[in-house]
Amino acid sequence: MRYPADFLQKSPESVLVGLARSGDRDAFAEIVSRRQDWIRNLMRRCCGDAVLADDLSQQVFLQAWRSIRQLNDARRFPGWLKRMAINTWLQHKRRNDPLHGASEQDAANPAIEATPGLGLDLDRALGTLPDDVRTCIVLGYHERMTHAEIADATGLPLGTVKSHIRRGTKKLQAELADYIQPEEAGT
Amino acid sequence: MSSDFDPRLQALFAEARKAFDREAFTRDVMAQIDAGRRRTVVVWAVAATVTVVVLIFLAAPVLTALRLVTELLPVSVVEIQSDWMKQLLAPVNSVAALIAVLALGIRKFYRRIFG
Repeated sequence: MRYPADFLQKSPESVLVGLARSGDRDAFAEIVSRRQDWIRNLMRRCCGDAVLADDLSQQVFLQAWRSIRQLNDARRFPGWLKRMAINTWLQHKRRNDPLHGASEQDAANPAIEATPGLGLDLDRALGTLPDDVRTCIVLGYHERMTHAEIADATGLPLGTVKSHIRRGTKKLQAELADYIQPEEAGT
Repeated sequence: MSSDFDPRLQALFAEARKAFDREAFTRDVMAQIDAGRRRTVVVWAVAATVTVVVLIFLAAPVLTALRLVTELLPVSVVEIQSDWMKQLLAPVNSVAALIAVLALGIRKFYRRIFG
């Protein structure tokens, strides 16, 4: 469909979602453009691997395109997309996706070597956590989800989520002490 | 937000968010969507061609089957003696109504699971 020059760029997301639901490819491309930083960052924190994170993010958007007609209320789109991203990650973990080998490409990928220090160190610290703890920590800190929301999204019992968050937080505080100590001294 | 969350770590997570090359990623996603659309069109075209060929070869048996189905749809599910009651309940007391209810049930179930 053809629109005036910057119509899609200026449209609110609910309009784009409505258009995408009716099969509008350009509207969906605009949604991908707007939401990709969020989903790619989330996936990066979940798996700590830039290549795999982008592959999983693509899977999320492809799944969103295939299912967007089933989304009845356009205002629910962000939560719906987030749940889809979390499910994509959890499914990947469960079936140990063939894309898992993509992490071996890290060493040869110059874009990853150029990642600023904090992101790299954060991913390295997250990498020391067991999978479930890492998922809970990412959803809690990166997505600012509550314990109950994390329990609902991951299917883990609430008590387990709380314990994972406590354990993960302590571990991250130790691993990232260089980054958080100056602020700690100031408080 | 619970006190289990350390605000300093929250700040680190926020700081570590980065902006990506949006154009290349969007292009990749849309290319995969377009490829998927093309595959769907090809699959439907093949299915339609096969259906037409099958219908041409099996025209007579298919027509017979359709006639049998057409005759089956209005058959009452529960036998009712009273004529006027039978007429009144005909829209819901038939194989067609049973199939419609099943289809609606499956649709509702599907939407609840995947919607």
